[in-house]
Amino acid sequence: MTGSAEEIKKQALADFSKYVNPQKARVLKNAGLDIIEGKRNGACVWDITGKRYIDCITSAGSFNVGRRNPEIVSALKKALDEYDLGVFLLCSKQKADLAKKLAGIAPGDLQYVMFGVGGGEANDFAIKLARGFMMKTEIISTLKAYHGHTGFSLAAIGRDAYKKPFYPMVPGFKFVPFNDLKAAKGAMTDDTAAIILEPVQGEGGIHPATDEYLQGLRKLCDEREILMIFDEIQTGFGRTGKMFACEYSGVVPDIMTVAKSLGGNLFPISATIYREELNDFLVTHPFVHLSTFGGSDLGCIVGMAVIDFLVNNRIPEHAAAMGERFQKGFDVLLKKYPNLLLEVRRKGLMMGLQYTNDSIGPRMSYQLAQNGVMAIYTGNEPSVMRLMPVLVIQPDEVDFVIDALDKSMAAIIQQGGIEKY
Amino acid sequence: MSVIDDILSEKDPEKIRKETETNYREYLNPFVLRMFKNAGLDIIEGRREGASVWDVTGDKYIDCVTGAGIFNVGRHNREITDALKKALDVYDMGGWISIIRERGLLAKKLAEITPGNLKYSLFCCGGGEAVEVAVKLARGHTGKTEIICMENGYHGVTGFALPATGREVYKKPFAPLAPGYTHVTFNDINAVKAAITKDTAAVLLEPVQGEGGIRPADDSYLSGLRKLCTDNEILLIFDEVQTGFGRTGKMFCAEHSGVVPDIMVLAKSMSGGLYPISCAVFTEEISDFLIAHPFIIINSFGGTSLACLVALATIEFIEKNNLPERAAKMGKRFMEGLSSLKITYGELVVDVRGKGLMLGIEFPEESIGPRMASLLKKNGVISIYTFNNPRIIRIMPSLVITEEEVDFVVEAFEKSLKEIRAQESERKSKKG
Amino acid sequence: MATSDEIMEALADFKEQCNSNKRLRRMQRDWTKVLHYVAFDTGDKFTMTVKEGEIISNESSAAGTPDVIIEGESETLCNMFWGDINPTQMYLKGEIKVKGTQEDIMRIDAITAIIWPEV
Repeated sequence: MTGSAEEIKKQALADFSKYVNPQKARVLKNAGLDIIEGKRNGACVWDITGKRYIDCITSAGSFNVGRRNPEIVSALKKALDEYDLGVFLLCSKQKADLAKKLAGIAPGDLQYVMFGVGGGEANDFAIKLARGFMMKTEIISTLKAYHGHTGFSLAAIGRDAYKKPFYPMVPGFKFVPFNDLKAAKGAMTDDTAAIILEPVQGEGGIHPATDEYLQGLRKLCDEREILMIFDEIQTGFGRTGKMFACEYSGVVPDIMTVAKSLGGNLFPISATIYREELNDFLVTHPFVHLSTFGGSDLGCIVGMAVIDFLVNNRIPEHAAAMGERFQKGFDVLLKKYPNLLLEVRRKGLMMGLQYTNDSIGPRMSYQLAQNGVMAIYTGNEPSVMRLMPVLVIQPDEVDFVIDALDKSMAAIIQQGGIEKY
Repeated sequence: MSVIDDILSEKDPEKIRKETETNYREYLNPFVLRMFKNAGLDIIEGRREGASVWDVTGDKYIDCVTGAGIFNVGRHNREITDALKKALDVYDMGGWISIIRERGLLAKKLAEITPGNLKYSLFCCGGGEAVEVAVKLARGHTGKTEIICMENGYHGVTGFALPATGREVYKKPFAPLAPGYTHVTFNDINAVKAAITKDTAAVLLEPVQGEGGIRPADDSYLSGLRKLCTDNEILLIFDEVQTGFGRTGKMFCAEHSGVVPDIMVLAKSMSGGLYPISCAVFTEEISDFLIAHPFIIINSFGGTSLACLVALATIEFIEKNNLPERAAKMGKRFMEGLSSLKITYGELVVDVRGKGLMLGIEFPEESIGPRMASLLKKNGVISIYTFNNPRIIRIMPSLVITEEEVDFVVEAFEKSLKEIRAQESERKSKKG
Repeated sequence: MATSDEIMEALADFKEQCNSNKRLRRMQRDWTKVLHYVAFDTGDKFTMTVKEGEIISNESSAAGTPDVIIEGESETLCNMFWGDINPTQMYLKGEIKVKGTQEDIMRIDAITAIIWPEV
């Protein structure tokens, strides 16, 4: 693998187009995001040609501990001296250790753990567990929700574009507006097994649930004997300024799913954590759900190193403080560009900029890339730009992003096409 | 001291065992632990190397389970481990929106080694997830909905893969499942013919049914299927999750029959036993659907930089060491040994079958599978029955297994069968 | 500047290229939309109706309820239909404005990518 960075980049784009997806390569190239990642460190990533970017995409919150965190890299390397994936059918000490650790940091009485590889898989299992345990079929989800691409999770996504070409979906899913307690109540029937939601809708456009909504739901669910599933895949592990977003409301779900940052940006792992009572279903059906790569020995070691890093360095608190610093910058931008930037929604370092129309998200991505920041719009809401930098971001890097936003917004104003529609 | 130092420095096997058992009971699944213990399979893996694994107490076993075919390159393969460690000096997963150079390189390599005109790859983490992608591509590309799959097939447990799995116990508690899946008898071309409708998008099958009891598809069946699918504009999907990467004596099992599917699903051994990765590989024509919908299937952890590098190192190792050929040779040695056991223990061994190092031994009744597993462990071999059929014990060792190790496993089978024979005759004499 | 006739001519060619491309028709068969094009320098408006991936009509006026509205200089629109420019690049630079969903914008880009892969 020799040649200049430019040659390598050209070849990489050609290979990607020829064997992965030509249109994806084209869209990214057009957006100025045809970055071939070279060096990665902390909040930053360098294109192989040397250009530095602050990564505000982080695969929607997969890199909370920072890019290539040295402590976690070294833990994984040491683990590689002894372990491989392990055999999913056998007992594993690493799996047991991480399960205990997760139970320790998870809110309330969440105790048992089923491991998977990706977030979608964790949600698939949560829904299966709800149906299997409750012996009921209906799942209530929310409009604009995003839960993943495997079958059960996909059925729970509140956006048709992801689903339509693959119809028919798993039946039994209902959708209600987010943050609307009455609507949720109206949708509940005697056959409702569970309600699934994100405490902060991510792809839906960074919409935090209100505390009253979550508390009200908890009460309703208790009254009607319905399980509550929190998808904390994007919000978990310090992202919102608490270890888990549900801590703000004090509401403890019956099932919680986590993924993304549990893998420390190094190793795929996800988990479904649930209350003891629900484990009864798995006593009668112990091998009904399996995952070859889920909760592998190496993945569990990484998961433990991630949790230790977050706890020992008080990363959730740091995220809260950096979020505040961002907010100060946003307040200035809101005043400076009122016809472009309508609103900022934020919980910790989970931040969404609401622009006036759908075209601004992609255009801002392009401008920000020119100004050294990687950022994209949310999947289900292109008028919203999501900023989810690593949680170990430093104050000067926050200021750099704010400055890049300022420059980019000025360029967009210059171009026009910012009216609301 | 970091968590990893804590873990690695604990050497007292009894302490490790006790702690692990407590944690399983309290945080994972108490019942699973109990089942492992009852089955005598409560091994906690310590050292791993080549075809072998050591319990934390130091007992050595030949691993014939290998997570149903994850470890084709051997347990804790030194070369691939080193490759991953080197990669960790530079890479992390990479961002999912970035163009991942390693992903392009791996896709190119897969296009080279997969049969026929299979060319484009979409990466995910697990086999089930890749099956889901195959089903989605089939529906999206053809605009039709029905998927014909096989009774006793196993394709995973997530939402679009689960309905394709041909066994009710996995599905019933979670109904209603995604509709549009029909199941037919395996190895029966007329059954497929009869199931085809104008709305059929694809036929999905394993070229050797794994969990269904190690049942190879006939070459004539597969070529018949290919023709049937082509004639009716139906896609043919091969799930090569267990059979891929040398397992059956060829790089891919499809090569035995010469049949090229439209979509091939790969996982397990692509990981080198070290890093989760899976993919669907498909033709250029099918990739057109993803040009119209480039971001319709996304995935945080699929085909990360690290995963792709590990997979590239794995393929290199398989090619360099000619593992498919080795699997064929060792498989033959196994077959000879096991076949002679079938003659000696005719009342206990109904059938011995398989392809390469994907082997199954069939017993006359269901209880023998679990009993054999427990006796085999006593004799230094980890081997378990197939999920959909407990009458069949699966033998899927690492492809790096040596002749001596093959003989050791065959001998362990002989000892175990002998003991079962003794148990049976004792029972009979008690009854009599 | 391009006249209405010139744009209609380009649109006719675009339609021909699109409809005669089997691969494109198959890819786009789930796409049924009414698109309006607005040339903001001349004020000319055009309507393109796509049914199941086939462009069934081009009109030199704004007709029906649009799913997508695309605005740009008359010259830019003309160049886009002749395949001389990359629409997404123009879009991201603010030279083409699109009102509609992201999916639709990517579909338009996919069409041009298939007809003129080198652009």
